[in-house]
Amino acid sequence: MPTMDLPEDTDPVVLLTYVSQAKVLMVGAGGIGCELLKNLALTGFGEIHIVDLDTIDLSNLNRQFLFRHEHIKKSKALVAKEAAESFNPNVKIEAHHANIKDAQFNLEWFRGFKLVFNALDNLEARRHVNKMCLAADVPLIESGTTGFNGQVQVIKKGVTACYDCATKDVPKSFPVCTIRSTPSQPIHCIVWAKSYLLNEVFGISEDEAAFDHSTDADNAKEIAELKKEAEALRIIRESVGTAEFPKMLFDKVFKADIDRLRSMEEMWQSRQKPEPLDYDVLKPKTPAVTPELLQDGQKLWSLEENLAVMNDSLDRLSKRVAELKAAGTAQPTITFDKDDGDTLDFVAAAANIRSSIFGIERKSRFDIKQMAGNIIPAIATTNAIVAGLCVLESFKVLQGEYEKTKEVFLSPFATQRLLSADKPQPPNPNCPVCSVYQTNVYVDLSRATLKDLVGDFVRLQLGYGDKELAVSTEAGVLYDPEEEDNLSKKLGELGIMQGTFVTIVDEDDDDVFVNVVLNIQEATQDSSQAQKEPTKESNGVNSDGDATVKDLKRAREDEGDVPPTKKAKTSGADDDDVVLVGDEPSTGGAILIDDD
Amino acid sequence: MTEIVMSQTPPILHGPSDKEKKYDRQLRLWAASGQAALESANILLVNSGCGTVGVETLKNLVLPGIGRFTIVDEAVVQNADLGVNFFLDETCLGKLRSKCCTELLQELNPDVQGEWFPKQPGTVDLDQILLNSPTYTLIMYTMPISSKDLAALKEYGQKHHTPLFAIHSAGFYSYFNIQLPGTFPIVDTHPEAERTIDLRLTKPWPELAHFAESMTKDMDQLDDHEHGHLPYVVLLLHYLEKWKETHDGKLPTEYKAKLEGEENFQEAVAAVNRNIKEQTLESTLGEVFSHEASGNVDAKSSFWVIARAIKEFHRKHGCLPLPGGLPDMKAQSSVYVKLQGLYKAKARKDSQEVLEIAKSLSGGEDVDSAEVDLFCKNASFVKLVNATTGDQDLTKTYEEQKENDSLAEVTMMPLSLFPIYLALSATTHEPAASVDQIKASAYSRLPAAADDMRISQACEEVARAAGGELHNISALTGGMVAQEAIKIITKQYIPIDNTCIFDGIASRCQILRL
Repeated sequence: MPTMDLPEDTDPVVLLTYVSQAKVLMVGAGGIGCELLKNLALTGFGEIHIVDLDTIDLSNLNRQFLFRHEHIKKSKALVAKEAAESFNPNVKIEAHHANIKDAQFNLEWFRGFKLVFNALDNLEARRHVNKMCLAADVPLIESGTTGFNGQVQVIKKGVTACYDCATKDVPKSFPVCTIRSTPSQPIHCIVWAKSYLLNEVFGISEDEAAFDHSTDADNAKEIAELKKEAEALRIIRESVGTAEFPKMLFDKVFKADIDRLRSMEEMWQSRQKPEPLDYDVLKPKTPAVTPELLQDGQKLWSLEENLAVMNDSLDRLSKRVAELKAAGTAQPTITFDKDDGDTLDFVAAAANIRSSIFGIERKSRFDIKQMAGNIIPAIATTNAIVAGLCVLESFKVLQGEYEKTKEVFLSPFATQRLLSADKPQPPNPNCPVCSVYQTNVYVDLSRATLKDLVGDFVRLQLGYGDKELAVSTEAGVLYDPEEEDNLSKKLGELGIMQGTFVTIVDEDDDDVFVNVVLNIQEATQDSSQAQKEPTKESNGVNSDGDATVKDLKRAREDEGDVPPTKKAKTSGADDDDVVLVGDEPSTGGAILIDDD
Repeated sequence: MTEIVMSQTPPILHGPSDKEKKYDRQLRLWAASGQAALESANILLVNSGCGTVGVETLKNLVLPGIGRFTIVDEAVVQNADLGVNFFLDETCLGKLRSKCCTELLQELNPDVQGEWFPKQPGTVDLDQILLNSPTYTLIMYTMPISSKDLAALKEYGQKHHTPLFAIHSAGFYSYFNIQLPGTFPIVDTHPEAERTIDLRLTKPWPELAHFAESMTKDMDQLDDHEHGHLPYVVLLLHYLEKWKETHDGKLPTEYKAKLEGEENFQEAVAAVNRNIKEQTLESTLGEVFSHEASGNVDAKSSFWVIARAIKEFHRKHGCLPLPGGLPDMKAQSSVYVKLQGLYKAKARKDSQEVLEIAKSLSGGEDVDSAEVDLFCKNASFVKLVNATTGDQDLTKTYEEQKENDSLAEVTMMPLSLFPIYLALSATTHEPAASVDQIKASAYSRLPAAADDMRISQACEEVARAAGGELHNISALTGGMVAQEAIKIITKQYIPIDNTCIFDGIASRCQILRL
């Protein structure tokens, strides 16, 4: 006979004890974060740490209820802590106005938490916390909202899928020639205004990420021309703030550059040629810039109105540059921010003028803001639902009941099931992030070379033998069969520090090992661990060697193998697991490993 | 050094208004029209019990900027409130909960007006408040509530056409129920973008057919670039026409990708299944038409006048007014702009025709062209909520749920949450009832439930909560209630019809019409 889901095996007193003793981390104090902090505090969580690098903006106030108008420009983490404490003096909250990627938030620090909540708004930080939680083996509750949609997911190493088990969409980049020479859609002109023009005039030169710079025989010449064009624009930048500047800029980008493009006949055989504009003809026709004009973001501005807004925004931006200079900044820069009206007006007007030149439809500033700013709609209600779901999942995680956890989705289109809960997905055996073998390695960074690491540790210790392999860090490839120059360099010289993750990828075609991620821990020659366990080196090598190779064998679906991460030991840093390797064992060795 | 030119004129107010900036992230969802509806909304909360779910719901409505709210709550703040209500602290002890919550909620958004009752500790006369207040746009009440107050609210709802929200949160369970005054039409339902594309490929109007023909008549003579930039709309029209020529003017009944070639040809293949379809009415619109025919509608409301006009348009042309949108596709920009212009012009023409029909109908003299435009653009997706009237039969609903549950193992569907609703609603007036009382009340409403173990278990769980709210469950429920309230106030998106039951143990909910 079917029964209700009942919390019968959840003794409320036991749960309350778990909750009150839990020290948890909340990354992000924005939309979900404000709600979550309130719920955690009132649920009785003992100690809550908050990390957020952001400051409060006017556009947050429609949902981030711990913040008021007077808090604008202050730290989200600090204001959230103060607000929550004032309502609930019993809760212990620690706030960090900092980037979660900072070195201070290392693995050791992550290990101090019973549970981590992600309440973030960007892919990069989510991926980072996911990686740290996997390495520290701390459970993570990941959440996100977009408008009426939301999602909550529990991530536990070796048990559930991690954030990167399914590939995520990455922001789109456009071919540089489409943006700079042959735009055909409004978005091309918006990217041009935001990532090229604004940056060349007020920011830090080209926004590289927005462009795909791949060259081929067809576009090599044009790309060389575009470089010259950008250099010429940088010279005009010298005149920012002068009365002549608006005309100089206009003549350059809306006339001279367009004339040059028109002269490339082969480019326009099947496209409509762009029509350059004449400043002296257009300027007398521009209307006065009134507050009404600027406040109506929905209106489609005429060409003349766009020029008026462009010149007005140039004036505002130039004054800001002058003020920054006066305040002592040698080379002031202004970068695009969708909520910074001056930059938004500039981008909207410049994009629309360029659209007119290329016969592309113009857009309202409201639409351009969304297209340029990558705006994600956000409301209080969805955040309230998602934050509540996060806390419900945390109860199961605290009691170790991962089989009961749910991956919950909210969708406005499924009106019959506002919330749908699914069983968590298992880890993807080919996930580049969680299906790797992770281990700590203790290294004397000032002495150990890459050769010590590759030759002695990876090949001998881990059993790679003479396999082809590649070694890389976030900065790039350090070693592979074609790149051996770094072998003699010290690890410190290669940018490897305490906490760096070094990835070993097997490049053989047969019997491929899973990727190995080494978490580098600094240990000098006289570090206590090295001294305490000097005799482990030979024993450790042999006894752990076989097991390691077995662990590294890639799971084969046809054999129904369990993903290797599940086989990996999960004990913490235990002295017994410390293995010493190195070619100079008598001097204490340069590399130590502990199984994680 | 360059000379800095400083303007002498005083700075003027720049950029979008502060209000537009503050509400920017939600304007992306419901636009200025939805925001205006919110800002003119006047909401009443009749609060009781622990009072958390009501206040959490209001919080989520105050933040996006409703016009005004009123809290009616007889309670005086006690220690127990501090543990579940985030907005109350020790300084509130002994004070009126309605007043404390109103003041703290107003702090969240200074644009919102707040009012509270009673003014002095004691009982409130709800009838008097309802009588003397400006008309409420929407009323929410939390359980427990007295039979007398409930009857007063229901009467008010009928009289003033005010939607009522009943909200109940206890322990790990909650539900809320929306009572709408009659049928509730929604034009701006925000369907998924790809569903809204209507290219009229099987039924091109003359201008479109002519355009496609002129572009493809010497197709094989085109150079590679031009050939590779023929918009897929044009390609599909061309090949459909060729098919019809060899098949007695009939359309193909089955489509297999046979086109190969450049990117635009691949786009055409991808668009075949999505965009070539016979013109059929969406069932939701069919419901609107048949409801219109039933005569059981307010003939003067502009919605029903336009619905009638659209129905007439459909009868005459065999298709709905063209929405007019054109998706991105590989094409030369000048060609794309022309094609876009064709679709826009046809949409304007259709909308104009509907407007003329509407104006000729009785009650249609003052129909607004913007409203007609919106209706025409969304015609396929217009939705009628609460179309069936009359009380639902609880026994029938229960039998249906039991039937579904008996197949649950085969269908892999989760079990019904109906027992939670039945158990919670047994404590509508008596929050701290005993297990036996709750069961007795449930079984008296639904005798068949007496030997149902799941209902019995749900009653035990509700008794265990003894009317106590868990902050987290109430906060989550408050999010869901406010979300539906916003849909009803803005008349955008499709609200649930009409009861949402939440199970905080399984983290899931179910929508039932009760």
